[in-house]
Amino acid sequence: MDDEKNCTGPLIIALQYNDLFDLDSMSASTNTDDALPKGRAVTFIKAVQIVNERLVEQKETESLLFEVILIAKECSEEIKMKIVESVKYYGLEIGKFFFCKKEELINTLQSNKVKLFLSTDRDDVCEALHTGIPAALLYDQCDDHVLKVIISGDSIGFTEDSLDSLSDFGFSETQIETFKAAKICMKEFAVLIGQMRRRFGRENSPLCICVLTAWGSTNVCASALKTLRGWGLDVDEAFCLAGAPCSPILAVVKPHILWDCGLHNMRDLATQS
Amino acid sequence: MSEIKQTEVATTDKKEALAEEKDWAAAKAHFENLKSTKPRPPKPKYAVTIAVSSRTLFDMVAERKIFEEEGLEKYVQHQQEHENEPLKQGPAFPFVKALMTVNERLRNLYPDSEELFDIVLMTNNHAQVGVRLMNSINHYDLTIERFCMTGGQSPIGYLEAYMTNLYLSKDSKKVQEAIEEGIAAAIMFKPDVESQLSETQLRVAFDGDAVLFSDESEIIVKQHGLDTFFEHEKQHENKPLAQGPLKCFLEALGKLQKKFYAKNERLDCPIRTFLVTARSAASSGVRVLKTLRSWGLEIDEALFLAGAPKGPLLQKIRPHIFFDDQMFHIEGAKEMGTIAAHVPYGIGQKYNKGKLIEPKQQK
Repeated sequence: MDDEKNCTGPLIIALQYNDLFDLDSMSASTNTDDALPKGRAVTFIKAVQIVNERLVEQKETESLLFEVILIAKECSEEIKMKIVESVKYYGLEIGKFFFCKKEELINTLQSNKVKLFLSTDRDDVCEALHTGIPAALLYDQCDDHVLKVIISGDSIGFTEDSLDSLSDFGFSETQIETFKAAKICMKEFAVLIGQMRRRFGRENSPLCICVLTAWGSTNVCASALKTLRGWGLDVDEAFCLAGAPCSPILAVVKPHILWDCGLHNMRDLATQS
Repeated sequence: MSEIKQTEVATTDKKEALAEEKDWAAAKAHFENLKSTKPRPPKPKYAVTIAVSSRTLFDMVAERKIFEEEGLEKYVQHQQEHENEPLKQGPAFPFVKALMTVNERLRNLYPDSEELFDIVLMTNNHAQVGVRLMNSINHYDLTIERFCMTGGQSPIGYLEAYMTNLYLSKDSKKVQEAIEEGIAAAIMFKPDVESQLSETQLRVAFDGDAVLFSDESEIIVKQHGLDTFFEHEKQHENKPLAQGPLKCFLEALGKLQKKFYAKNERLDCPIRTFLVTARSAASSGVRVLKTLRSWGLEIDEALFLAGAPKGPLLQKIRPHIFFDDQMFHIEGAKEMGTIAAHVPYGIGQKYNKGKLIEPKQQK
């Protein structure tokens, strides 16, 4: 199989600076010469860098690599400087920096052909999904050196009719639309990450892809696995919960990326740690 | 409210609880929309959750051989190529079917209750093998809607996440880990001959010491001999024994049994429990019965063998599963067609047929 033809790398991931650095923990007494305190995304970037290293080890001219770009909305000049310095200080490989206004976020993402926008802010994720930009939640991950991605089996495995019937059970039109939009966006990302995953064997891979089916039956999960396989993504782990609570499982898996699709809009990740 | 689950997951976070309710509502919606007559699975915190591994539910001996001789890649490839061929039944299969029968009866009597058996497939396999497992589950029409394919990771953390009451596997290391974490677990063995098992009643047999009870008395037998043991038991007749790893599972079965008694179905109860112990009724048996009574537990039939072999008696009982801590009894049961499950707990593990296994021999 000629992987060269399929590959349209690099896989560009966009992050926001307030996920990269924990500005809330800075107090008036913080020394302004120090680097900004680390946020959740730092562990994520380190894991991404390990995957890149392993990919390059296997093939020096590999073009399907992760590339991280950083977006900062509404920053003062001072903060802009601190961001660039802190990134250097922590040894984070960030391809580009974009300083823009709040309204320009979606445009910035679209014009840079971002393959995945990661944020801890659920509203940002939903907004991006709605405009067709693949977006997912940056979760409370573990320090493990394996980049873990969870894909929603429900959004891939459910049929259109079953989704529409959810309106009878208290889900709004907006939620259902976001859900449908997520499936379409997910495909491109799934194809790329599938190719990347195939560069490694089943064991000792620095990349681990999981499917989590929160409400669907076994058939929904089986359908999701087959669809993903058809897109070239061979999943490593699968969980089917049929309504059982998700959080205990997420606490064990501790993914970096969680394709949640906006139906759990009550959960506030910032309070979970 | 139900107290079947010993570990209450405290959802003190309101938002978290709300999210869980949404998940539950969506699942309910999905199952009610399904055209098939498959019942939806119960809420885990009220249910008795049994986790079975793929090799106990299905017969994967041939596939296992491919894994051991040709490696992981070839194994996964083989499973994918035969995806649409259902696997054969494994040792836990009759047990799972019996659980489903009990659920049907419970749903008839208590249509709105979530106090049911919940069966989860807990396997180390990669998700790609999952499709064949799911196809096989559908082929036999088993009501297993929850599963966890860990792709090589240890399942122990997941057992707790799924609120497991009992874990059955063929892997002794995993079972030992589970017992150390306080989860009832056993290693399943396929019997050498097949027997005809009841299709209307779940029959579960337990050994006493080091299974339902702790191994404290077992230690006395091994270290000081039978006479000391009898004396000790007579003296401490009224002192309850400490709990063993399977006590909670017996308790969970008892709670479900009471639901049938409440509806006047005691004579036709689809769950029957047996105690099969080497103790003798006259001397050491009383302490056992008094201990059960002090725990508020009932066992339907208590059989005291006074040292006689368990095999022939088990053959008459025909349980769907028999739990014992000593391999000697497991072998005896297997030979005569009983589905046996080894509980690797307590001092019995260091002995073989009454003799201490010398660690030097292993070098």
